[in-house]
Amino acid sequence: MDPFATLGLPRQFDVDLASVEKTHRELSRALHPDKYAGAGASERRDSLERAVAVNEAFRIVRDPVRRAEALFKLAGVPVGENVEPKSDPSFLMEMLEQREALAEARDARDLAKLRALVAEVEARARATQEELGRGFLGASPEALSELVKKLGNLRFFRRFLEEASALEESLLDEATK
Amino acid sequence: MLFEIFDPKAAPRPIGIDLGTTNSLVAYVKNDKPIAIANCDGEILVPSAVHYGDKETVVGTRAMTLAVEHPRETIVSVKRYMGRGADDPETRRLGPYEFATPKPGEPNVVRFKVADRQLTPVEVSADILRELKARAEEELGRVGGAVITVPAYFDDAQRQATKDAGKLAGIEVLRLLNEPTAAALAYGLDKKQNGHFVVYDLGGGTFDVTVLLLEDGVFQVKSTGGDSALGGDDMDRALANEILLELGWMLPEHAKPKSLTPSPKLTPGVVRLVLDEARRIKHALTLAPEVKAGIPLPGGGEREITVTRRRFDELIVPLLERTATACRRALKDAGLTAEQLDGVILVGGSTRVPAVRTYVEKLFKQPPLADIDPDEVVALGAAVQADLLAGSGPKDEVLLLDVIPLSLGIEVGGGVVDKILPRNTTIPTAARATYTTQQDRQTGFEIHVVQGERELVADCRSLARFTLKGIPPMPAGLAKLEVTFRVDADGLLSVHAKEVMTGLEQTVAVKPSYGLDDETVEKMLLDALDHGETDLLARRLAEGRVEAQRILLATRKALESDAALLEEGERERIDRAMEALEKACSGSEPAKITRGIDGVDVATKEFAGRRMNQAIARAISGKRLDDLSKQVEKAKGVEAHVEDHARG
Repeated sequence: MDPFATLGLPRQFDVDLASVEKTHRELSRALHPDKYAGAGASERRDSLERAVAVNEAFRIVRDPVRRAEALFKLAGVPVGENVEPKSDPSFLMEMLEQREALAEARDARDLAKLRALVAEVEARARATQEELGRGFLGASPEALSELVKKLGNLRFFRRFLEEASALEESLLDEATK
Repeated sequence: MLFEIFDPKAAPRPIGIDLGTTNSLVAYVKNDKPIAIANCDGEILVPSAVHYGDKETVVGTRAMTLAVEHPRETIVSVKRYMGRGADDPETRRLGPYEFATPKPGEPNVVRFKVADRQLTPVEVSADILRELKARAEEELGRVGGAVITVPAYFDDAQRQATKDAGKLAGIEVLRLLNEPTAAALAYGLDKKQNGHFVVYDLGGGTFDVTVLLLEDGVFQVKSTGGDSALGGDDMDRALANEILLELGWMLPEHAKPKSLTPSPKLTPGVVRLVLDEARRIKHALTLAPEVKAGIPLPGGGEREITVTRRRFDELIVPLLERTATACRRALKDAGLTAEQLDGVILVGGSTRVPAVRTYVEKLFKQPPLADIDPDEVVALGAAVQADLLAGSGPKDEVLLLDVIPLSLGIEVGGGVVDKILPRNTTIPTAARATYTTQQDRQTGFEIHVVQGERELVADCRSLARFTLKGIPPMPAGLAKLEVTFRVDADGLLSVHAKEVMTGLEQTVAVKPSYGLDDETVEKMLLDALDHGETDLLARRLAEGRVEAQRILLATRKALESDAALLEEGERERIDRAMEALEKACSGSEPAKITRGIDGVDVATKEFAGRRMNQAIARAISGKRLDDLSKQVEKAKGVEAHVEDHARG
């Protein structure tokens, strides 16, 4: 499945999310099973299949990690944490330090420190996305195999941000009690 | 109006049902406006209480009055037990019921012990739904399918249980609709305003918060959160505990270990009575700053107690704080701050409590909207959606895009959850993940489906377990297992597993862990039919005719709007199939109607495909039909004609 084709988009990493959202809305208007509730069985099935494909494509395209994964797959570069090349040791070291800082913020219940960390990692995630956006443009197969490391980095950032977000929630809950 | 009630040919009308924890109600659309249906006494709300007497089953207000004398034979707030396991914490909370432990081999569901019977929440809910359906039939003659609302935060098991209850009550469930989305639909159509809205829905037993974007008739849910065991009941319990403490009937679960034991006076009847009294006091405190109440003592006499609004507000603070956690997360998931919201909508009877309103206003930094009755708004929205689904609504522009409330995943090594579909994914949807065998010559693969946000399986809700068997022995890591999750527009999950090397496949509708399997529901249905409901043939015939009429209507609409897409001879083939179906409908054989429906299906299949392709092309190119409203007018004309004709 090509999520880009499903949404009528060019195969590229940089997307205008507002316009993708609009297209998704219009496609939903055209295909959502609610619109075919009165139709016969095969038409209902057909609409469900297509609506599922549209929502699946939307879920992939709007998420940078999944979007990059889809582009690599379409280019024939295998993805998945078991087959991708490992991230650079220096990067892993840095992430280790960030995690330690996160643990410190947790133990100290330091919301300000936590938010500063989040802002820092968010900025790095954005920079990595920009690199991916440039990297996908007219890249050779060799260049793509190298670029796939950036995807690994992006996953690290995301996992970090998810954990930080859960931590922020629990700190806020504590604060209101 | 008698002729309308008994006219067997009257067009069936779609209805919207709010199956609430405390109250339920039914609504329908009349002249483009949703209205709630009242009984002959003018009462709109049906208390969600069912009394099981020796001879009869009583639902609603009368059941409520029987509850004090027959606390164990009268089930109230059954919604709190829907889709829950027999050992769920909910069964251990303050309440008058006795529960049965499932025998080995029986589905692990809650069972109320009522006299010599055992009843599941699905059966009790079905009795409430039957009452609502009967009420609608009294008003409308015939009912043609229903949209039933569920809390947005209901998990898969709770949704499935609700759908089963509908089925058991003999209702064609057109759609399960999330309550906050239903409320937004009722408001949105009223206000005709675009923007981001929050729906804060605090009902009798459930809390939901939903963030939606309303844009040109599309109600897109951005995020949802909540707690499916938090509501007005918990306020009543908190207050009841306080009262029991004052009366010296302290409860064991709230007692300090050594100082208190459950008083022998604390019978199920007393618990029911104090809970009811607590609710009355809560209601009275909405207007009065202080309420005095007399608690009848079991041995006779009364004890007067006084509750101030201030004390009550203090008691419910912990409950409000739990709602705040969900609200903050929902806002964050939607990528919004309180300042960016265009409106806050209050839903659910518990939002009448002044402290709740103040709290919501502070939380979202703006005064909330509550101009539609918070008890009725969900049912009104459901009626609008039912009307849209039945194709009779004029608002072709309107569409609801909902999400799954909780992440869906499967268990991988070490009791960890691999999330396959994250929460707030727009439905219907699907996702795949591939796994491999861990051991050499492994011939089976156990799949454990869970729902929840936590990383460990033990902290999530277990939805189902099944094993893909018969994988030929291979070295570890060679077998490739592809697991596909599909969530339909009702928010219900089915899981499909396939071993890629051998092509071995298995599909399960996710039910078993905490649900009733299809066989059990089917058996219950047949039992219900034995108990004097209309016979099966008549029911099939009626259902077949309803479906046939709907398909004929949809086909006529399609032929009218997209005649240009027809190929040579196609129109004639379709017309012939439609005529055959019409003829089958005037007969009395359900099988012939089914064949007629299949005939139309085959004749229109390719035409339908071309229409969908055209719709996709238009959507992608960003073009919209400018003459849409004109077409809708025309289509409405057809429908009106059909109805007039049918009514004779």
